[in-house]
Amino acid sequence: MEALEMYTVDRRDDVYTEELKLNLGPQHPSTHGVLRVELGMDGEIITAARCDIGYLHRCAEKIGENVSYLQFGPYTDRMDYLAACNNELAWSLAVEKLLGVEAPERAQWLRVIVCELNRIASHLIAFGTYGIDMGANTPFFYAFRERETIMALLERPSGQRMLYNYIRPGGVAHDIDEMWLTDVLGFCDEFEKRWAEYNTLLTTNRIFIGRTANIGIISKEMALDYGLTGPVLRASGVKWDLRRDVPYLWPYDECEFEVPIGEGTHGTLGDCWDRYWVRMREMMESIRIIRQACHKVPSGDFTEKSMLKMYKTPLKPPAGEAYMRCENPRGELGFYVVSEGGQSPIRCRARAPSFCNLSVLDALLPGCMLGDGVAIIGSLDIVLGEVDR
Amino acid sequence: MDEKALHSKLTASGVGGVGELDESAKDPFVVVEAGSLVAAMTFLRDDPDCRMEMCNCVTATERADAMELAYHVSSLSKHHSLTLKVSCPRPEGGDHDSWHPEVPSIAGVWSAANWHEREQWDLLGVKFTGHPDHRRILLPEEWIGHPLRKDFVYPTSAGEIPLELDAIPMYERDENAPAPESTSERKAGEPLTQPPAPFSSRPLASGGKTCEPDAPKEGDH
Repeated sequence: MEALEMYTVDRRDDVYTEELKLNLGPQHPSTHGVLRVELGMDGEIITAARCDIGYLHRCAEKIGENVSYLQFGPYTDRMDYLAACNNELAWSLAVEKLLGVEAPERAQWLRVIVCELNRIASHLIAFGTYGIDMGANTPFFYAFRERETIMALLERPSGQRMLYNYIRPGGVAHDIDEMWLTDVLGFCDEFEKRWAEYNTLLTTNRIFIGRTANIGIISKEMALDYGLTGPVLRASGVKWDLRRDVPYLWPYDECEFEVPIGEGTHGTLGDCWDRYWVRMREMMESIRIIRQACHKVPSGDFTEKSMLKMYKTPLKPPAGEAYMRCENPRGELGFYVVSEGGQSPIRCRARAPSFCNLSVLDALLPGCMLGDGVAIIGSLDIVLGEVDR
Repeated sequence: MDEKALHSKLTASGVGGVGELDESAKDPFVVVEAGSLVAAMTFLRDDPDCRMEMCNCVTATERADAMELAYHVSSLSKHHSLTLKVSCPRPEGGDHDSWHPEVPSIAGVWSAANWHEREQWDLLGVKFTGHPDHRRILLPEEWIGHPLRKDFVYPTSAGEIPLELDAIPMYERDENAPAPESTSERKAGEPLTQPPAPFSSRPLASGGKTCEPDAPKEGDH
């Protein structure tokens, strides 16, 4: 009888469920760097999310206040290290705006070509790593094959493979060799075939579409409210590209190109697949720009003559401030430089696109499955070097 | 609309405390009083002619006499942008530890401002009143001080690890001293990269010592 009682006692009162705190990162391959997200989990469903950034903070803005205008160029490379040329461009344009000088024509066109090449290289990483996030390892190797060609092409004028320090205030650092433009055009032809290959590998893959369509939907209003820019904004259906709308380099005005926006092809407008597909189509638009630019590069100086004299002494822009924004692969990179007439700025603020794009994550994750959270982080395509600066 | 039209729109809106437009600057800016910042921003966002949908950047700059906040807002549909500035004068004896300028937060107008304001608090010690989540963002919570302030004292150690400062800031250098001679041996016209030395001529990591496999080593039993 006693034994029977033992089994009838309700033993479930010490079994209960509660929200689980889950720590995603900072050392996690799918957070694309040292991003840490504190997640509240109800089973597989995310109930709360809080980003914790700053693990890669290197005081870039403080360094900028302690070095000269030219010396800070290489530091900007290390912010968004996947698109170094675009960062240098934004910094150089900001300093040029302060100084009131303009780069010569040849330098402008060369800047366009190297920036668009770098944009393709950056989007290739986004494409490859997103495949890995979704469980497809092969596209990554294909992406790196083409990225290798781009790095070899950019190495020839700049001498570097990743952090180029090629674009400097007043022009570019070195001239290109005679065969460079021919080789770039050859790469363009080759890349078009490769691009079609990527689409068969990943874009139209049924599993990939199943993992990304209808996931992480960012509406147009939400994107604008959070200040999202770049492919993330365009995927939400906003046709906004600084290259087209605020041409910070006039050659962009003379080039014909489309601004791809999300259309909700496989799901809802502004989902992960749209963001991915906008990046893929942007690569083709970059190829289009490069093709046109290669035929238009004029002969002439590659650095402003008056600037060459100024390089010998530290640059001292007149007192004032300038905000310069450029379309990076990840969105709008802005440099706000405040000069008081000295050798170094008293404030050099970088408005990093990844920083702003990441801020939407806290609002986007709740309600998703954990596996979809990884898909969302990957689709935002953040670079932590730029988030933390 | 250009900045001039935006400014006249803003002054006509009934929002008080809107100052003059400085057109001599590279980016013309409007000075706004801190008290009317939120009202001005809300007007700029909601007015059908202004329609500033996006807050691009919030920056604090420490000047000798004031903390200056610059807000860059832009409209995507109308293709215009505007810079607004708020100035918080430095009180007598206001230094790193005692002075935390206070500005109303605009995180309620644009969510984008949330992280920007947190960063300005973290690095420059500007307090944003009414901010929903007023924490540090880049530095750890236990960090002391705001490193982008001009009078920030560098820590001499991180935990038990001593930190040495060997870099002399640019502004402390002698400007009239002759530029240092270039140490680069590359002449004009030479290629940027030299081919690497053949492998056999490179020094070995072992320093040339070889290890005989048969010879008994010290400590071997």
